[in-house]
Amino acid sequence: MPLQALRTVAKPQNGVGAFILQCKRLDFHYCDWAGSSKGMNAFLTKTLPAFAARNPGIELHVSPRPGRHPVLRGAYINGCHKAICVRNMQPAEILDKVQLLKAGSGEKLRRERRPVKSANESVRGVWSPFHGGGYKV
Amino acid sequence: MKRVRIERIASQLQPPLRLSLQSCPFTSQTTAPRKELQRRQYHIQRQWQGQKHTVIGKRRASNVVAAEQPESIDDSASATLFEDDVSVRPRPPLYAPSYKKSLHSAKLAALHSRLSLPSKLPLPTLARCLIDPSADPRPGYNNAPFSVLGQDLLGYHTTEYLTCHYPRLPMSVLFAAQYAYVGSAALANVRSEWGVEVVAAPGQEVDPGLLQLKREVPGNSLAEGTDRRMKDMPGVRKLGGILGTGRANAEWNYRRGMSGRVVHDDEFGDLQSGMPSPDSQPYPGSALAESAALGGETTEDGFSQLTPADTDATTVESASASFVRAVTGALYLHAGASAAKGFHRDHILSRHLQLEKMFNFTHPTRDLSRLCARENFEPPVARLISETGRLSRTPVFVVGVYSGENLLGEAAGASLNEARVRAAGQALRSWYLYSPPVNDVVLPSDVEEGKGGKVWKAQMIDVGEIVT
Repeated sequence: MPLQALRTVAKPQNGVGAFILQCKRLDFHYCDWAGSSKGMNAFLTKTLPAFAARNPGIELHVSPRPGRHPVLRGAYINGCHKAICVRNMQPAEILDKVQLLKAGSGEKLRRERRPVKSANESVRGVWSPFHGGGYKV
Repeated sequence: MKRVRIERIASQLQPPLRLSLQSCPFTSQTTAPRKELQRRQYHIQRQWQGQKHTVIGKRRASNVVAAEQPESIDDSASATLFEDDVSVRPRPPLYAPSYKKSLHSAKLAALHSRLSLPSKLPLPTLARCLIDPSADPRPGYNNAPFSVLGQDLLGYHTTEYLTCHYPRLPMSVLFAAQYAYVGSAALANVRSEWGVEVVAAPGQEVDPGLLQLKREVPGNSLAEGTDRRMKDMPGVRKLGGILGTGRANAEWNYRRGMSGRVVHDDEFGDLQSGMPSPDSQPYPGSALAESAALGGETTEDGFSQLTPADTDATTVESASASFVRAVTGALYLHAGASAAKGFHRDHILSRHLQLEKMFNFTHPTRDLSRLCARENFEPPVARLISETGRLSRTPVFVVGVYSGENLLGEAAGASLNEARVRAAGQALRSWYLYSPPVNDVVLPSDVEEGKGGKVWKAQMIDVGEIVT
């Protein structure tokens, strides 16, 4: 019987070769009447074009949502969405929120308990009681 | 050995045109050249097939520069109003969004930028890479030509990496590693990691940045108008046995060995489908291979009779794989060999694959003993290195397989026999996964890069795996 092989699929390592930005789309909802949308309207006219030019890999959609607070909504490659209400915020604060969405991965926010996460095994090896000099009792 | 000029072959994959200049039918379908537009400025703008009068060169036909020309008002596939004008022809029907829409699609531009594709690869070409043959069967409008080229390129770069870095890898593991890197499942994952979404159904109105295919109906879905499952419908079930494998004597169910796979099967060792039988001869008057591949029968107007209603539905996985391959092929054609190689390195080779987990031995002790005999090593002897808990419920025995004084492999097991067998497997794995020093590895494609290429060093070629 010749040697058999076990088929698998190679796992991705984003950033090792090419880096794919995980935020693929940002929706900006504003309102012309609501006072809470003043900062958002200013952001859309003044700051957004420069942001769009610096981030050509993100699809930007601007649409009115009349009678509602202004909202930023990010869509990620893993299929998740994240929405941030930017009511009563200044353009600079809204830009901070946009950077937050852009830098996200779409994963749920969870606390990482282990310091290192790696697909490679330990470089120096895990200690074993069966190798080495052994115990001297 | 002469280097294969892929550029020449690739251009012949396009449908035959009546022009001496070859232009991409996908992008030239709705383009009017500058001279004609100036002449017709006082006429209502209309669509026409620009192949006969175009002065657009080979490069410009698919270049973003063409976007500077004013858009036509009417973008639909309706018949023209001025029938008496001889230069106006009925446009070929569109089954997918036209290339002009691709220039204004935010999704497509974002994809182009997210993949850091060079500007040499135009947006309309990327849009064409997203059109599967099941959505539009005409090879001048879908990604099939690019996909064929890209599959060969991806397979070539993966194979040369594996064979140069792991010269002793057995054939079955090589096939499996190839599938793990550039098989359809892996490329389908790549497509979803790139953030490319799939349409529910193809059409002109969809966003050009979506992958367009005619989706295969799942077997357990309900047939329309009835309460029966598709898989239970008579006539839907596929014929037993795989047709068109390209192997002779298929009806006798010969055992498929590894050597046979290298000759008959595809790059992953899997049976092929749709290949002609090796015994068949073309009858006089049969369609030639080229014209059959290029869309079948054509009408007097020159465009194909095939419509998406005639095509077979495909799965999302195979359409995703052909999209990724098409991007590679298009990148090679527009940006060159080193760009395609860099693309493969960044997106495929950067993925993590543990080759040591892909071995499945049945008799490692026997194989190791044959290997030592072949290599003139001393016969392998298993020795107990250490143990604990022999009479308890959970013993651990650490056994090493020695050839004379040299330790070939070592492993732990719950029994003496298990440890011995695992150690033999570990020894074989360490033999097969030998990798030459990095400085000694020179890939053939490194040398072909011209002046910037490396100096060729003879690569290690192994005698072969142990066959039992």
